[in-house]
Amino acid sequence: MTPVASDPFTLWHPVASDHDVPHRHVHHGQLLGRELAIWRADDDFVNVWENRCLHRGVRLSIGSNDGTELRCQYHGWRYANRSAGCTYIPAHPADAPARTICNRTFSAVERYGLIWSGEDPVGEPPTIDVLESCAPFGLRNLPVNASVEMTVQYLQAHRFCPSGRLDAESVEMTVEMTVEWIDDYSVALTATAGGSSSGSASGSSSGSASGSASGSSSTAVFFVQPVDSGRSVIRGVLTETPPEGDQLAVLRHHAVGLNGLVAAIEAEAARLPAPEPIMPALQQVPIHLAELPEAPSGRIASLRVQVNRKWSTAEGVAAFELVPLQGVLPTFQPGAHIDVHLPNGLIRQYSITNGAGQSSCYRIGVKLEPDSTGGSVCLHETVREGDVLAISEPRNNFPLRRDSLRTILLAGGIGITPLLSMAQTLDRMDLGFELHLFVQSEDHIAFRDVVDGLGESVVPHVGLSPPETVGEIRRLVAEHPPHTHLYICGPGPMLEAARLEAAAAGWPDDAVHFEYFKNTTEIDDSSTFDVALARSALTLTVGAGQTILEVLREHGVSVPSSCEQGACGTCVATVLEGEPDHQDVYLNDSDHRAGDRMMTCVSRSKSDRLVLDL
Amino acid sequence: MIKLYDYVLSVNCYKQRLMMSILDVPYESIPVDFYPGWEHKGEEFKKINPLGHIPVIDDDGYILWDAHAILVYLAAKYDPSGLWYPTSDPRLLGETASWMLFAEGTTNTASAARLCVNLGYDFDLEACRAGAHRLFRVLDEHLWFREREGREWVCSGPHPTIADIALFPDVVLSEEGGIPRLDYPALRRWTDRVKRMPGFEGMPGIFPASQARQN
Repeated sequence: MTPVASDPFTLWHPVASDHDVPHRHVHHGQLLGRELAIWRADDDFVNVWENRCLHRGVRLSIGSNDGTELRCQYHGWRYANRSAGCTYIPAHPADAPARTICNRTFSAVERYGLIWSGEDPVGEPPTIDVLESCAPFGLRNLPVNASVEMTVQYLQAHRFCPSGRLDAESVEMTVEMTVEWIDDYSVALTATAGGSSSGSASGSSSGSASGSASGSSSTAVFFVQPVDSGRSVIRGVLTETPPEGDQLAVLRHHAVGLNGLVAAIEAEAARLPAPEPIMPALQQVPIHLAELPEAPSGRIASLRVQVNRKWSTAEGVAAFELVPLQGVLPTFQPGAHIDVHLPNGLIRQYSITNGAGQSSCYRIGVKLEPDSTGGSVCLHETVREGDVLAISEPRNNFPLRRDSLRTILLAGGIGITPLLSMAQTLDRMDLGFELHLFVQSEDHIAFRDVVDGLGESVVPHVGLSPPETVGEIRRLVAEHPPHTHLYICGPGPMLEAARLEAAAAGWPDDAVHFEYFKNTTEIDDSSTFDVALARSALTLTVGAGQTILEVLREHGVSVPSSCEQGACGTCVATVLEGEPDHQDVYLNDSDHRAGDRMMTCVSRSKSDRLVLDL
Repeated sequence: MIKLYDYVLSVNCYKQRLMMSILDVPYESIPVDFYPGWEHKGEEFKKINPLGHIPVIDDDGYILWDAHAILVYLAAKYDPSGLWYPTSDPRLLGETASWMLFAEGTTNTASAARLCVNLGYDFDLEACRAGAHRLFRVLDEHLWFREREGREWVCSGPHPTIADIALFPDVVLSEEGGIPRLDYPALRRWTDRVKRMPGFEGMPGIFPASQARQN
């Protein structure tokens, strides 16, 4: 069906006023029968979402807005600013929620002090000339228990005094009302005081503004929001902001007048049969969610982002702010990384440093490696502001639990990047944490502005020798307090030491989480073995010098991957039979002993045959 | 220590718990089997309050009933700042009294509707709901103008009063009585502000707000 101009579902409507959406609040709105949860994030992005948590259908308008995420009141599911994707499910604290868990969003534009949205709006919100050339002044909105048609009809005959002559009625001065225009959803009226009606009737819409200089004329545009078939909201905007001292009086004058108008409208509406409420159309489940997705194979760069800003954030560390070319960036959770496909053909992984729900960009930090094989050098020397990069969607193999009484974050050098995301998230949620930064010097602390914002939770350890570092870590993890989790990211030796110290102090493996920069294990790929794929009913032979991943791909079996060196955890496969020969640094010792998962990019088999759940 | 004859789901008992939590007054909650036991209507309880309703407080032998009266007493006695029940400012005191009476109205409409829905009370539900909407419209407009005046609370002073405490539970639980607050955005913003008062505590159905934005 081709949308016609008068189809209310293709039009932009005001759904709230600016003052309805202060920070850290969730406004409860409704448009054409559909309830909306409208909230402003701390970065001033206004989210207009279907008022329904995906999980159990509870209204999101009773949830809480923490500035970057909206938290459902029922089971605490959290959704990110902008993308509306789920960032955390408290019942599954150790897992990163699937990216497909995403609330329905609607477009939002702020204009004339109003938030405009629509079911399926075409183009841009209306441009109102008389509101373009001035400082619009919003009146109090009035809900009306009547249809838009009836409300607009009554508004045509509405009367008010010009802002500069609120006394007009009491001094028996004539106020001439002129209808500037009227359409299905708005009425513009000009009130001119002066006793003489000459000229006012012919006043053009541009002329009315000039007459207001003396205060004897005011133009108001009344937008009528179709809440439901029998309910509306009148949103009035004056084309001119009255002087500060007069504002309250003007607002009260209009409130009194509009209250009278609403009473008259509702009296008539009450005499008519109540119209059937509009049934909002349920969104069809998109095909990509309704069907089992085809497993992505290989390292797919499905996103294009622009380098909005590049700066030096620490000694030898370049920071990049990546913004979407259009639309919004996909949801990420603390600990997530992206693959960056570099102009020179290399693919490198970088952690997103933003806190959960800080979704206007992805910020990454790249350390120039002295022994760079081309990745960090390319980013440091070749990539410039304005360049477009191909990146993968964010992937999270290092998820943060948000249910610990205390979280200890140990960062070595540039290892701060994933932990910075975690720290900001814990800080915002008021969950206790310590971020320990092991750095060569103060100048080596990346993202200093963000670090400083975390206050006393950050503990820098500057210029320690390797033995001193180990000693310090030993002290920090000397005991394992209950409900405390440890997250480590840093250079291999530091990470190894931290894991050993934690294990020696009695930390269980499932309380110690880590992410290596790279896998420095010498890979032994001399073995030959069979891999049986239980689901694909295929048996393949992996020869010396080949990886399982390569052999799978050669035979058309899709497996996602990222670092392809056993560090990131993306190419994990479930082992059904056989004894894996682990050569990765992603899984912990318990996982290695259990032998029920393996990294197909580097790990092999000790038994002649492995059965994988692929 | 104050004894509060208390029922966890009662808005009027919650008003006292909230006030004492904010004023940091220790008290002992004496649970009354309000529903389904109707203990407050029994002979034993009528020895404490012959009207047979809760809340009742017993402050070291001093017995007082009626939710809004207890708020007056608690604030007058336990708030050294004198701001919650502003006896030294006649205008504010008058406003406080006025909005306390208004709160009788919200209790008898919005909270009465909740009793019908939740506990099977036999009131005229539709009349309760219509009455609540009439009052909420007035309160929403009032609070909208307060925001324009740079104020946050029901009365015109910079500090909240017992009127905010008396009104808050009736408003914030209205949806349990089938009274949506969709049309009252200023009222909804005010409930966030109440939830952010230092010492705020909730009850079943009343959740904490997120932290206010710093700076």
